[in-house]
Amino acid sequence: MTIAEAVDETPDTRTFRLTFQDPAVAETFAFEAGQFGEYSAFGAGESTFCIASPSTRRGYVECTFKKAGKVTTALSDLNAGDTIGFRGPYGNNFPLDKMEGANLVFVAGGIGLAPVRSVIWTVLDEREKYGDVTIVYGARSVSDLVYKRELEEWAGRADVKLWQTVDPGGETPDWKGEIGFVPTIVEKAAPSADNAFAILCGPPIMIKFTLPVLQKLGFQDSRVYTTLENRMKCGIGKCGRCNIGPVYVCKDGPVFSAEEIARLPQEF
Amino acid sequence: MTKAITKEALTGLVAELTAAGVRVIAPAKAADGGTDYRAIFTLADAILGGEMPRRSLRAVFQPPTEAVFGWERKGTGIELTPAAAASQPQVVLGARPCDAAGVNVLDKVMGWDYKDDMWFARREATTIISLACAEMAPTCFCDKIGLSADATVGADVLLRPAGEGYTAEALTAKGEAFVSGHARWFSDEPVTADPAPPSREAFPLDKIEEWLEGHFEDALWADLGLRCLGCGACTSICPTCHCFDIVDETDGTAAGTRRRNWDTCQTGLFTVHTSGHNPRADQASRCRQRILHKFEIYPKRFEAVLCTGCGRCVQACPAGVIVPEILDSIAQRANGGAA
Ligand SMILES: Cc1cc2nc3c(=O)[nH]c(=O)nc-3n(C[C@H](O)[C@H](O)[C@H](O)COP(=O)(O)OP(=O)(O)OC[C@H]3O[C@@H](n4cnc5c(N)ncnc54)[C@H](O)[C@@H]3O)c2cc1C
Ligand code: SF4
Ligand code: SF4
Ligand code: FES
Repeated sequence: MTIAEAVDETPDTRTFRLTFQDPAVAETFAFEAGQFGEYSAFGAGESTFCIASPSTRRGYVECTFKKAGKVTTALSDLNAGDTIGFRGPYGNNFPLDKMEGANLVFVAGGIGLAPVRSVIWTVLDEREKYGDVTIVYGARSVSDLVYKRELEEWAGRADVKLWQTVDPGGETPDWKGEIGFVPTIVEKAAPSADNAFAILCGPPIMIKFTLPVLQKLGFQDSRVYTTLENRMKCGIGKCGRCNIGPVYVCKDGPVFSAEEIARLPQEF
Repeated sequence: MTKAITKEALTGLVAELTAAGVRVIAPAKAADGGTDYRAIFTLADAILGGEMPRRSLRAVFQPPTEAVFGWERKGTGIELTPAAAASQPQVVLGARPCDAAGVNVLDKVMGWDYKDDMWFARREATTIISLACAEMAPTCFCDKIGLSADATVGADVLLRPAGEGYTAEALTAKGEAFVSGHARWFSDEPVTADPAPPSREAFPLDKIEEWLEGHFEDALWADLGLRCLGCGACTSICPTCHCFDIVDETDGTAAGTRRRNWDTCQTGLFTVHTSGHNPRADQASRCRQRILHKFEIYPKRFEAVLCTGCGRCVQACPAGVIVPEILDSIAQRANGGAA
């Protein structure tokens, strides 16, 4: 695919908009929110990222990645006009069909907003199908917030309730959002669990502490969804790397309900 | 269809095959004196019914390292050249029944959902002629996995020792085509195969699976973890282990190769996240994964245990981690006995 646009989100995080080089694929390529792909920087290798753009917008895919190691560093060095490899879409997706008519609560931490953003835009593109939309998004510091332009756009929308927060100490003098960890802010935002689903992505520690808050607010585990990010290579149920007990995260996931996760061996 | 073939006829058959450009792979001496599955040119090079080839048959269908495609930078674009799928017809002669069975077990993971083209191109190009074992080594336990010294699973033709020659039973359409395609080497004379070594009672694999399902946490894993060195020797010689890694190789210029290399779940790096978080942070959890994958995960998903009882891991492990012993002790626990 061709990098049509490269945006620096934070000092170490970038978003690529990728367009298809093969017109036939551009025409037919479709995916669902929550699915992932394998992205190549030729010479360095492949990396797994969620598809961060909404399934309602065709003809391109977006990914947002953090510079962390070999492949992500090589990818960071690429720019608009360069070619990168893409395999996908792989994995299952967030069950948006089940969520029609319901209120939605999105909770994301750091780069965990990438998969959630795919769902948020998919929902906003078909806004009339869903009830209230509440978003709680937190990052370590103001400079670690990704998708800053979109956060502004959501903040300005009457049909979205957005809570932004940074960890204590991560604020700047002109920061107008919350200060505190994501689970605390979810508690403060206190979205109603009535006819609601929660979608939750972020570092394992955030997930761990947010789940009990959602439970306290009355969310059933079967209506809370998150993604697992076990290390992957093939993405298609062959290489054996992503197993958790009898589950292949690359095929059976990456999206799981909290109920499903509670039944899994704790190996993630 | 069961026929007979003499040693001389088998010699002629191998000569005919190699002359026709068919690759013949058989247990044979390696340069260092050990036995491996290797290409042979005359039957004299094969060691039929000798010691267990050190490495399993998996490598014939998925080499330890293989190119998936080459890439070359062309301007701002990248040109990919897929690795040519193997299509040269080949015959494996004298496969161990446990190894033929292993290939059959791996067909399931290679074929579900997305089909692994490279695996199946080689599968289709290959006829497997296995040879029933005349005796079982002390490390063998195929019988306890529900196979036997003359198991037919995964083989196209099964040879059984019969005095100075062999009986030859065609088991699949491919096997029948092979035998009838080379009919002049096979005879219809009735020959009686030598008796195969008797089978012992199999492990209660269903019960073991059930026990594993309920014992993700158990003292057994800590015990294994303390012994295991995490060297991965057991997984590299196993006919059913199939984990792999995908890497790029380049000399830093405008071209390179993407390769698929065997990998092992027995090292800590296998599952470590980029953040440093590792879902399997200790050797106990990695030993557990190997046993779970073989006797619970795979059976659940694919209705086959991921072990054929070849005993290679028993021979290879420098630390005395012995799968049949582990299965025995799980079976005892599953039956409510102390282990
Ligand atoms: C389903 C899924 C979705 C994901 N989505 C996203 C996403 O949207 N955005 C995103 O940014 N990430 C995402 N990830 C994570 C992403 O896949 C990894 O961050 C990425 O693959 C890292 O690749 P890399 O080659 O840069 O790192 P690597 O070069 O592989 O480096 C990291 C690994 O190498 C080893 N390593 C490297 N250096 C050292 C060292 N000095 N000491 C010890 N060990 C070291 C570590 O074992 C580490 O695991 C996702 C993962 C999954 C499974
Ligand atoms: S686990 Fe051991 S005995 Fe079983 S197939 Fe693998 S190497 Fe052979
Ligand atoms: S079980 Fe034995 S062979 Fe396997 S990794 Fe452990 S020490 Fe190595
Ligand atoms: S990533 Fe290879 S099996 Fe899941």
